[in-house]
Amino acid sequence: MFKAHIEIKLKKGVVDPEGKNIEKTLHLLGFDTVKSVHSQKVIVVELDAASKEDAAAKVGEMCKRLLTNPVTHDYTVVIS
Amino acid sequence: MRTIKKYFEGKGRNPTNIELQSLGQAWSEHCCYKSSKPVLRKFLFGLNQPYVIDKGDAGVVEFDDDNAYAIRIESHNHPSAIEPYGGAATGIGGIIRDILCMGAKPIALADPLFFGPLDAPLDSVPEGIKHPKYLVSGVVSGIRDYGNRVGVPTIAGSVTFDESYVGNCLVNVACVGIAKKSQLVTNSAKNEGDALILVGGHTGRDGIHGANFASVEITSETEEQDRGSVQLGDPITKEPVIHVCVECAKKGLLTGMKDLGAGGLSCVTGELCLKGGFGAEVHLDRVPLKEADMAPWEIWVSESQERMMLAVKEENVQKVLDICNLWDVSAIPLGNAIKDKVTRIYYHGKKIFELDLDFLTEGPEYERPCNLPSAPIMEEAKKAKAAKPRKFGTYGEALLALLADFNVCCRDWVIRQYDHEVQGRTVIKPLQGKMNANGPGDATVLKPVEDSYRGLALSIASSPFTTAIDPYKGGLAVIDEMCRNLAAVGAMPHSYTNCLNFGNPEKPERFGVFHEAVRGLGDASRAMSLPCPSGNVSFYNESHNGAIKPTISVLGAGIVDDVRKCVTTDLKCAGNSIYLLGETREDFGGSVYSRITGRDGGVSPIDLENLKSGVAATVNAIRSGCVAACHDLSDGGLAVALAEMCLGGSIGAEVNLGALGALPTDAKLFAESATRWLFEVKTGEEKRFEAAMKGLMLFRIGTVGGESLTVADGKKQAVCENVETLRKAWAEPLWNVMG
Amino acid sequence: MKVSDAKVCILQIEGTNCDEETYWAFKRLGADPEVVHLKQLIGTGIPHGMKRSLSDYQCLIFPGGFSAGDYVRAGAIFAARMKATLAKELRTFIGAGYPVGGICNGFQIMVELGVLPGLGESMTPLPEAILDKNDSDRYECRPTLLKHESRGNCVFTSKLPQNKVVMIPCAHAEGKLAFPKKEGDRIVEKLIENDQIVFRYVDEDGNYAGYPWCPNGAIYNIAGICNPAGNVFGLMPHPERAFHRFQHPDWTRTGLGESGEGENGDGKVIFESALDYIGKKF
Repeated sequence: MFKAHIEIKLKKGVVDPEGKNIEKTLHLLGFDTVKSVHSQKVIVVELDAASKEDAAAKVGEMCKRLLTNPVTHDYTVVIS
Repeated sequence: MRTIKKYFEGKGRNPTNIELQSLGQAWSEHCCYKSSKPVLRKFLFGLNQPYVIDKGDAGVVEFDDDNAYAIRIESHNHPSAIEPYGGAATGIGGIIRDILCMGAKPIALADPLFFGPLDAPLDSVPEGIKHPKYLVSGVVSGIRDYGNRVGVPTIAGSVTFDESYVGNCLVNVACVGIAKKSQLVTNSAKNEGDALILVGGHTGRDGIHGANFASVEITSETEEQDRGSVQLGDPITKEPVIHVCVECAKKGLLTGMKDLGAGGLSCVTGELCLKGGFGAEVHLDRVPLKEADMAPWEIWVSESQERMMLAVKEENVQKVLDICNLWDVSAIPLGNAIKDKVTRIYYHGKKIFELDLDFLTEGPEYERPCNLPSAPIMEEAKKAKAAKPRKFGTYGEALLALLADFNVCCRDWVIRQYDHEVQGRTVIKPLQGKMNANGPGDATVLKPVEDSYRGLALSIASSPFTTAIDPYKGGLAVIDEMCRNLAAVGAMPHSYTNCLNFGNPEKPERFGVFHEAVRGLGDASRAMSLPCPSGNVSFYNESHNGAIKPTISVLGAGIVDDVRKCVTTDLKCAGNSIYLLGETREDFGGSVYSRITGRDGGVSPIDLENLKSGVAATVNAIRSGCVAACHDLSDGGLAVALAEMCLGGSIGAEVNLGALGALPTDAKLFAESATRWLFEVKTGEEKRFEAAMKGLMLFRIGTVGGESLTVADGKKQAVCENVETLRKAWAEPLWNVMG
Repeated sequence: MKVSDAKVCILQIEGTNCDEETYWAFKRLGADPEVVHLKQLIGTGIPHGMKRSLSDYQCLIFPGGFSAGDYVRAGAIFAARMKATLAKELRTFIGAGYPVGGICNGFQIMVELGVLPGLGESMTPLPEAILDKNDSDRYECRPTLLKHESRGNCVFTSKLPQNKVVMIPCAHAEGKLAFPKKEGDRIVEKLIENDQIVFRYVDEDGNYAGYPWCPNGAIYNIAGICNPAGNVFGLMPHPERAFHRFQHPDWTRTGLGESGEGENGDGKVIFESALDYIGKKF
């Protein structure tokens, strides 16, 4: 069995309201040293596959078909 | 314990673990009201009206010839103090189930919330207690994410800030549903042999001992230890469960239905069957589990969310299962209603539990020692005044400070996060006036039935500041505020549901406060002929710095004959006249002005006959069409109410309070005397309006118009502030603190 | 065909929650709407009597809500399930010119399905746009004013004059229409050229304005678009919540409409237009 660690983040330059909002709130709470905050999402998938490459291909397909929207998202997959 | 010992001696055997756990749940304060019942019986249980149809998990009240509404409020205080997001969300889930199991479709949510001050310095909050800002943000998000996702609009509520809630915030949640009378369901099985079908979420270790947990004081160790007691909400399991239950009720497939709340299966099974005059036989190994290794007693008392128990006639079981299957909702026949009034539990064929139902569900009842307070309670009256009084150069400055107070300022930060329009029934919205002016509303009005203009008005009220000083008057004040709010949109008060949040009832002086507040509530309800078909008691709301302010919160329901006649609070048109109804005195006890400036004064008296005639006259005047706007006077008194009417309409007003007599000007502006309303009357309709108010204390005080709110007292100018200046003070505080 | 024969499929899965008011919008106008669960169209694992076929309907609506909790991304799960099981039927339905509408979450589903903006083909393999988190990072339940900009292409607004401003309330956390970076301007140009921009957010004076008048920060203030053929339409605000005048936020100020207009709310014309189109074309 393989474990795929998928990190989905916004493409460079895409506005990140969630990150901005957290940043603002941290500042409000007195964490003055916070320089920036970016949000991203991690999804962990456990799957059976013939090989690591096969697993990576399947997970890539999942990302395309459901987990990301190519208009704003970049993603990285680490298989273990 | 002695009662339990005697019972099992009589049976000639020792109790099993699961039997003891079950009794612990069923006899907790949360499930059987062992402390509060004698007081409730004395003052509230007698409140009834012929149009009340049922008093089950929710009260059911006639709406019109064919339809009924279901109404209930409940506390979810302790879980929300530990884990605000999950606690509030599951509170919403629970209250929706209470409505659902009467066969009604949930159509409205309303939440009175109480927190510590938002500007409390971080280091002033004791170890192990969450900062109010974090709690507000978590609770509001929890309500938003759950309510919005299940598609039930959150249409009313309140947010109140006070020192006494720092260690023990209050999260009260209310829900209203609508049903054809013919599709109403009771919380009882009807026939011997009725199948008991467990519907909805799987059962896990979440929420084990929630009922007991709701009945202890919070200490600093509570936080980490008790995480296991807070349940996780799952609106997307719940949403289809709503569809399933409403559809089964509509098709007449159910004989009874009850939700799994406090105490889980252990409470619901017995109560559902006993109420119908039966016992129950249950196969516990059939319960679908989240974790495979759960012990039978854990399954029996688990409070996992999103579960309902249906009682179904044998011939309808398959039809119910088909509906559940369409929605991918798990539905498992667990057992049946049986003739003997006992609960028998089997686990893999072996009998592990047998208790007489009367014994299990009856629960003990205590006559708690009670020290009745002598009002006013001086210590509280002193505490209610500002410790560091602020002085203002002008009344205008004082008004701006009041508008910016966290207990007065604009609530749009909260309200716009809640979907208050889903289902399309919201005719009078929680925010009123010009688009994006966010004027406050007194009550929200829904149009629940497709082919009728009849409306249901809903409003939240509470009075912790006055109840703390004078519990009896505080009890009266809640009903006064609720009736004022409903009347202000043109609705006749019809019924209400109450949540009584108090401290530890084992302390006689606390129990005395409870006794007096409930007495006030009962007296006011009787005078207004208001039934109270459901309610909830939450005791033990105490932490490091003592008990919370005694807090009665109510959701009131009123009836509007035709929603098209309703009015809102925003001023409409330059030239219209402004009237004040009701008497103003130096009533500063518990007022916002006194909390800021330290001004002396007593708690407002309430004349219930006067309230009754004021409500009737207000509703009649609005129905007759001569009123353009109406707003009740509450926090901050007359000046704040006037300012709010200007803000919603983005228009000024010119007012003179000379007619109010020889009172000090600050009392005319800021006193919080009860039973008062402001009206904007359409030009040319003054005679008709005055006739409708005949015999009441009515003052014509000014005219709508201009860009400023100008208030004079006789020849003295008291306030002159531009509406946009008022808006800045009032609109920004929550945004500035909450981001 | 007669409007009373027009069968409208209001499609839902778990978490869809605006089905009832959408049903009533069509029902009040005399059409024959039915709320249908996606499983009834897919047809497996349910009793025979519950099965339905898309080809039995003349109009398909994706109502608002939080389909499947919107847990991956708003609308993504509904779209993925539909694409995996009913892609062919949907393509045929759209190709035949039947009106397909999406409101709020329905709009999100249609974008994720690739049927809107539908620039390349009727259903693109990957989404061409996204309805992203609001700039405020908040759920926004507020009235919005929309300027009708369609020059006549969109079948859902055929009875609404061009440039008329209507009040339709919104309620969403993810309504910011966005296109791939650097291509935004080009795509907007293309949408204008194809007459695909139906509604844009404006303020009280009819000007394109920022927050709160535009509640989400959408590109070019776009609130609703249609496909190049005009029969597929998605809109973030909720017209079914403004069917009657007394659902408007300020009706106690503005009155319940002059005689003739009766108690019509601004959203009613959307449903009327769709039914009018069906009546004339089929």
